[in-house]
Amino acid sequence: MHAGKWYSPGVPSSAPAELRPETGVAVELRRIMLAFGAKAVLRDLDLRLEAGRIHALIGPPAVGKSATLKLMAGLLRPDGGEVHVLGQRIDTLAERALGPVRARMGMLFQNNALFDVSVGENVAFPLRRGDASLSEAAIAERVAERLAKVALPGLETRQPRDLSGGQKKRVGLARATVADVALVLYDEPTAGLDPVTSQKIYDLVKGEQRATGGTAVVVSSDVGGVLTIADHVVMLHEGRVVFEGTAHDARASPIPVVHQFVHGTLEGPL
Amino acid sequence: MAEAIPTPGSSAALRWQLRQTVELTARTLEMTFPRQGRSAAARRALATQMHSVGNRSMPFMVVTMAFIGAIISFQTALQSQEILPDLSQVGATFTKLLVRDLAASVGALPLATRVGAGIAAEIGSMVVTEQVDALRMNNADPVETLVVPRFVACVVMGTVVLVIGGFVAFGAGVVVGQLAFGIEARTFASTALLNGGDVALGLAKCATYGGAIALVSSERGLSAFGGSEGVGRATTEAVVGSCFAIIVLNVLLSTAGYFLLPAL
Amino acid sequence: MSPGARGLALPAFLGRQALALLTQIGGLALLARDLGRAARPESGGLDRVELLRHLYRMGVRSVPVVAATAAFTGGIMVLQAAPFVEQFGAKDFVGFFATFVTFRELGPLLIGLIFNGRVGANNTAELATMVVTEQVDGLRALAIDPVSYLVLPRVVAMTLTMVALVVLGDAVALLGALGVAHVLLDVTFAQFLDSALSRLESWDLLVGLLKALLFGVGIALASCFYGLRVRGGAPGVGRAVNASVVASAAGIFITDYLSTFLLP
Repeated sequence: MHAGKWYSPGVPSSAPAELRPETGVAVELRRIMLAFGAKAVLRDLDLRLEAGRIHALIGPPAVGKSATLKLMAGLLRPDGGEVHVLGQRIDTLAERALGPVRARMGMLFQNNALFDVSVGENVAFPLRRGDASLSEAAIAERVAERLAKVALPGLETRQPRDLSGGQKKRVGLARATVADVALVLYDEPTAGLDPVTSQKIYDLVKGEQRATGGTAVVVSSDVGGVLTIADHVVMLHEGRVVFEGTAHDARASPIPVVHQFVHGTLEGPL
Repeated sequence: MAEAIPTPGSSAALRWQLRQTVELTARTLEMTFPRQGRSAAARRALATQMHSVGNRSMPFMVVTMAFIGAIISFQTALQSQEILPDLSQVGATFTKLLVRDLAASVGALPLATRVGAGIAAEIGSMVVTEQVDALRMNNADPVETLVVPRFVACVVMGTVVLVIGGFVAFGAGVVVGQLAFGIEARTFASTALLNGGDVALGLAKCATYGGAIALVSSERGLSAFGGSEGVGRATTEAVVGSCFAIIVLNVLLSTAGYFLLPAL
Repeated sequence: MSPGARGLALPAFLGRQALALLTQIGGLALLARDLGRAARPESGGLDRVELLRHLYRMGVRSVPVVAATAAFTGGIMVLQAAPFVEQFGAKDFVGFFATFVTFRELGPLLIGLIFNGRVGANNTAELATMVVTEQVDGLRALAIDPVSYLVLPRVVAMTLTMVALVVLGDAVALLGALGVAHVLLDVTFAQFLDSALSRLESWDLLVGLLKALLFGVGIALASCFYGLRVRGGAPGVGRAVNASVVASAAGIFITDYLSTFLLP
């Protein structure tokens, strides 16, 4: 599974030459309250995610995992509490002021959210928004390198609608990681994919994080799959964190909701 | 952003829509003339939109305006027959009404149907498939990237299309005048009653309606939520909202025109 | 394209467009035939519950926007004609003119366009969403004919609602017209009414209602057709709504044109 096809350690990574293992706290959520209309989704949520790790966010459907991810991305504002990302408080910032923080973040959306342009243009998009000092040649080189990394070499001119689900996901991954990012958010990266393809995506996520030393936050309903790559697991239930620990701890946890969810059994509080 | 979106169809929803549209108008106008000039990508987007609003609407608008011209000319002649001794003035009256108001106001409705639905559908799909979120994550302002090109395209190409449509309607009117009422083409095609104020008012209406279509439809597209159902709803509301905005703006502009740019 | 075929590019394009148009018209005709079959008592006839539900949603909920549009339209019509009325001293004709144009042309046309934008688009969006979420397949699996259950009640409801809304709209438009006529031209209610009643024939009203009926059927058929034919997810729904409103609008104008000239 870690053979050269999906993860090519020989190809230079997109991060600068020396590995910059991030230290400290990448994301911190304090006393977050979030409601959609009358429905309270997150209640008094506290979360600290260390830099340089892969964090898995799991939990039953509609518990607010994607919403939490969007809070980290600044796409949603909490009704109460604070959101700190990469050392900066973002929930009080205006949309335009989020530029610098977002420049250091990448996001893979649940349905890929690829634009209606070619694969190459999609992957190049983040590079064009930042500093305008990158030449077209440099951009093309970076795009080609990213596409090779996700095992889609030479597909720059294809259109997203002509790609399979797994291929679109990989283009989305390439786009999320093409710029020099310290934090990558993955929203259900394996939704709708078969088990083999899912594992390959997880391997790409892990490979990327290990190569750059950055931080990855993965929301996934595929508990079995995501636990194979997670350094740190957080489970949400009824708007709060009910469990935090390693994957091993998650599997061994005696807490009823955690046990039931991780092992997928029918009996229990869920 | 986590505020509740009002129930679709309620009066709270209408007030929300109005507030959002006004805010969008302000932001769009602010970004229409960027200080640093437009990037290559922005110019390409603008060209694409111009093509979409202009070239792709032409066949539909030409056909529609031909029918509209025929109908208006027919009715104007029919009404005039009751009031006036002869039909010599009909052409001039028809032309004046067409230029001053009808080409823009009646023509803008099918245009709103076609262009408004298209804009709301495009932007709405992008919203529900999270492409707009992806834009924001890449520091691309959705208003600047999506709305401004469509706004400029609708104001400019909307005017062009409606003016061309006006000519088509005029031609159709001349034909009808000749065939149905025996009015000589030369007599009918008279600009005798036309004054500068008519042209100015007509053009102002074209530009305003174009802008209104773009803004109302873009706002509905950006406010879409809830998957394909949301896209459908946004498209519906865009067409109705645009048509209604055109009618209200027509009242305002016509009243202003009545006092400031008198017809006769 | 091979060198020899380049000269055929334009005819090929026109041919493709013509074929696409004919395919759609053919599809509409087939749908109409299926509806005819579904309406027979043996096939189950009309689902009354669905019919009533649609009548409420399409009719009652459209009243505000139709009333507002009609009021403005009546006012604008008189506003545009006012200078001419003053110049030709035709105050006695204002009542007749306003009523005639409203009943025969503006009422059905404008309300038809608003109805298209609101009910037609919404209908397409609903049906398209149902197809995309496989609900229609679900119906078929339960041996329920989608045409009988989904389409027939909607077509009947839309036709009836359209006629009812035109009647309502006509009344409100006349009030709007009267209001503006009074303010700008000092026309009294008695004058207005007298002018209208003395010259108007019941035929004029009937023509308008007949148009409303035809528009209603056209919008209903087209909106159901495009809704059921949708392809692709959320963007597909947007495209279906777009196609539906444009086709219905074109149909409205063509039908209006034919009626104007064929009905005296």
